[in-house]
Amino acid sequence: MLTELLSAHLLSSIIAVVATIVLFQFIAVFQRKLNAIWLQPMLFSILAIIAILLWQDISFDNYFSNAWLLNALLEPAVVALGFPLYQHLETITQQWKSIILVLSIGALIAIISSFIITMLIIGDYTIAVALSLKSITTPIAIAIAGQLDGNTAITAFAIILAGFFGALIGPRWLTYINVRSAKAQGLAIGAASHAIGTATVSNISYEHAAYSSLALIASAVITAITSPFIINFLASLLQ
Amino acid sequence: MSAFNKKVINVLYSVFAIFSCLALGKLCSYVAPVLPGSLYGLIIFTLSLHFRVFDADRIKSTVVWCLKHMGVCFVPAGVGIINHFDLIKQFGIAIVLITFATTFILLTLVGLHYQRCLAEEE
Repeated sequence: MLTELLSAHLLSSIIAVVATIVLFQFIAVFQRKLNAIWLQPMLFSILAIIAILLWQDISFDNYFSNAWLLNALLEPAVVALGFPLYQHLETITQQWKSIILVLSIGALIAIISSFIITMLIIGDYTIAVALSLKSITTPIAIAIAGQLDGNTAITAFAIILAGFFGALIGPRWLTYINVRSAKAQGLAIGAASHAIGTATVSNISYEHAAYSSLALIASAVITAITSPFIINFLASLLQ
Repeated sequence: MSAFNKKVINVLYSVFAIFSCLALGKLCSYVAPVLPGSLYGLIIFTLSLHFRVFDADRIKSTVVWCLKHMGVCFVPAGVGIINHFDLIKQFGIAIVLITFATTFILLTLVGLHYQRCLAEEE
């Protein structure tokens, strides 16, 4: 009985993981063949899987418990981002002051602008906290959101949205406004779109990957330290 | 040693390097819970390559492959949006617009500002 159950779970796990990878690769091949940047494999695999789950009436928990292996690989994948960072460590240490300054101003403006705009438009504190934290990596943002009584479900959702906006539009928008240096593009996308943006621009160049990884770490640290103070201050100001 | 064997050993070596950095990172995160274990792991991996604890040349090809394909790891978590349909129905458009606008501001600000810093240094 137990072995039967285990083997059934193993089989459905293999199906879920393999189906996700095949779908992702399939879209990636199409993206290359059609030379269509908008056909983002991550985004379209998510949409396709949502459609399949709804169509086949499969719950998310069921899918997720079977596809856990892919999710578990996220952590080592983030560690692997240390490699491009190592390759550019020398130039980065020369510029660390301006990098920290730029990222601190960025994090501050991100928190303040999101919090105030959300309070003005939606007027809900828990959502305002969620949106203030959307530019940083999920585990940190969720932890801070919980600590500040923010809505963690909306935090997770907004993080994915911010990730995709930056990953999809970031490189083109930055090129359009004449920010052409790989360093500046990488830093901006890492600061605005955390690991999703970093994973996407890693395919453009190593320099993008290095600066984006750096912004991913530094922005998370800066936001983790400053956001409780800023948000408490803004909340008392608006009350 | 054949070229294939060498490749396999390099892959195993890279996996060992990444997972040992991740394990150390988890330990750091347990002792000082400022960052999640994976980000500590990233920093430790960078430093261990810099101080030649691990040989970067043997790791390179595996890591390049990982970085090229890491996007697929984000898919299962992303599908989780499905669980928040009612929240999205209620506030979805406002949330999307605010996220879009503020992400744009941040991208533009950091990009322009850092490019100017780079130009000044040169």
